[in-house]
Amino acid sequence: MTVDPIARLTLLFARLPGVGEKTAQRLAFYVLKSPAEYASDLAQALLLLRQEVRLCSQCCNLTAQDPCAICKDPLRDARMICVVESVPDLLAVERTREFRGRYHVLHGALSPLDGIGPDQIKLKELLARLHGTGPDESVQEVIIATDPTVEGEATALYITRLVKPHGIRVTRIAQGLPSGADLEYADQITLSRAISGRREL
Amino acid sequence: MVKLGTGEDAVARVAGRFELPGGVREVVVEVRDARRTATVDGKSVRDPDELFGGLAVVAFTPDDLALVKGGPDGRRKLLDRAVQNRHPAHLSDSRDYQRALKSRNQLLRQNAPPALRHAFDEPLAKLGAKIRLRREQLLDELRGHAARAFAEVARGEAPLELTYLAAGRDSDGLDAGSALAGEAKLAEKIFAALERRSPRDLERGYTSIGPHADDLALAIGDRPARVFASQGQARAVVLAFRIGEIENLRRLQGRAPLLLLDDVSSELDPERNAYLMRYLAELRGQVVLTTTDARLVAAAASAEPGFEAHFHAVSQGRITPVDPP
Repeated sequence: MTVDPIARLTLLFARLPGVGEKTAQRLAFYVLKSPAEYASDLAQALLLLRQEVRLCSQCCNLTAQDPCAICKDPLRDARMICVVESVPDLLAVERTREFRGRYHVLHGALSPLDGIGPDQIKLKELLARLHGTGPDESVQEVIIATDPTVEGEATALYITRLVKPHGIRVTRIAQGLPSGADLEYADQITLSRAISGRREL
Repeated sequence: MVKLGTGEDAVARVAGRFELPGGVREVVVEVRDARRTATVDGKSVRDPDELFGGLAVVAFTPDDLALVKGGPDGRRKLLDRAVQNRHPAHLSDSRDYQRALKSRNQLLRQNAPPALRHAFDEPLAKLGAKIRLRREQLLDELRGHAARAFAEVARGEAPLELTYLAAGRDSDGLDAGSALAGEAKLAEKIFAALERRSPRDLERGYTSIGPHADDLALAIGDRPARVFASQGQARAVVLAFRIGEIENLRRLQGRAPLLLLDDVSSELDPERNAYLMRYLAELRGQVVLTTTDARLVAAAASAEPGFEAHFHAVSQGRITPVDPP
């Protein structure tokens, strides 16, 4: 029995996060109605995605060229490394345009309940960068920007204990209120954390 | 209001409009296909903190009466629920604590390297200190109210004593005084105790210290209620604790919390029941009460001037207004 190509594509689209059956069907018909080049471009792009995207050998960011654009950029400060759990986290920090150092993507956080230990995330790679076996011999500060969850905190502490003895400064990003937001709209957890993390003026 | 379908598409729905300082908010909880969804003002909420934030609710259930004689778990829950009414963030901190605790236990069983275990000990100690301090602070707040209520319910008895019993109070310096030094100091002490106990914890595969192992001691005079209280005394103790909680919330929030009582009258003797009904009638707050004998409630309701009571019959998932008995 041959599979109906429209049904097949619909089913594949429907597996994408946030896409339901109806939207998937709409997308499939959209591709069908578009000029033939669109379909081949799309197919090509999908294939290349898996073929070309790999981890940057330095920071473990996803990239098509190794080292990635950030690691290659001579204007970025190699003395600072911002450690994040995931690529979307890296992009979030990058959007601030505040940070001009480099990154390290862990691809996860320590989580014993999910069977994730130090060997399951890109920790060895981070330590290799700091221990001077890599090209970043001059790292002076590691900024840990893992999530403010139990796992994120534990990962931050674990990294701190490994890195600090090497005389490298370790900092943790602050937690608290989003700026530009009204205090009255802050959720209770954020607000209570902001209060316990208050500072002297 | 509860609406219940039949068979495949059975739905239970409870809706309430809550008068809060910020205005009236409608909270709806639906159970469909054994899945629960909640909305506030028509917007769905995923986090129960959002749902209960600002709504102080005190519930009495028949299970309460086993709290005195039962294991420490029930008494910790009793405390934690009371704390949640005061500090809405307590629920999420307790969940984080449980996650950190399970993580540490998992690492103990795997005999993971100490450095990895330490990374989880620190958040565990910090959250543990926060939870313990909130519990003790709440006990301090409601102790007086509960003792007064107990003196009224159980006339002639020795006074009700509520004491926080921390695991490791004798062996690890986690006695009552350790909480006075503040959260950061207490967290350090818990962290040190976790470290000191790790050889034993490793052998047993679980964490032996922290708020999950603490207890609330209930005593009448100097006699522990768990061992010595009669059935009637045990009920009076729980009743007094709940009333203490209500009085504390009323004092601090300027209004009585919403009370939910599930078939409590059938568990209390006539004298204590009469006391509870009188208390509820005088409270000037809202009470939702279920009972199998409406006469137990009706007498108290009609005795208090200005008290407004509505009676509804529940039958096969339908609620219909009825006349007072």
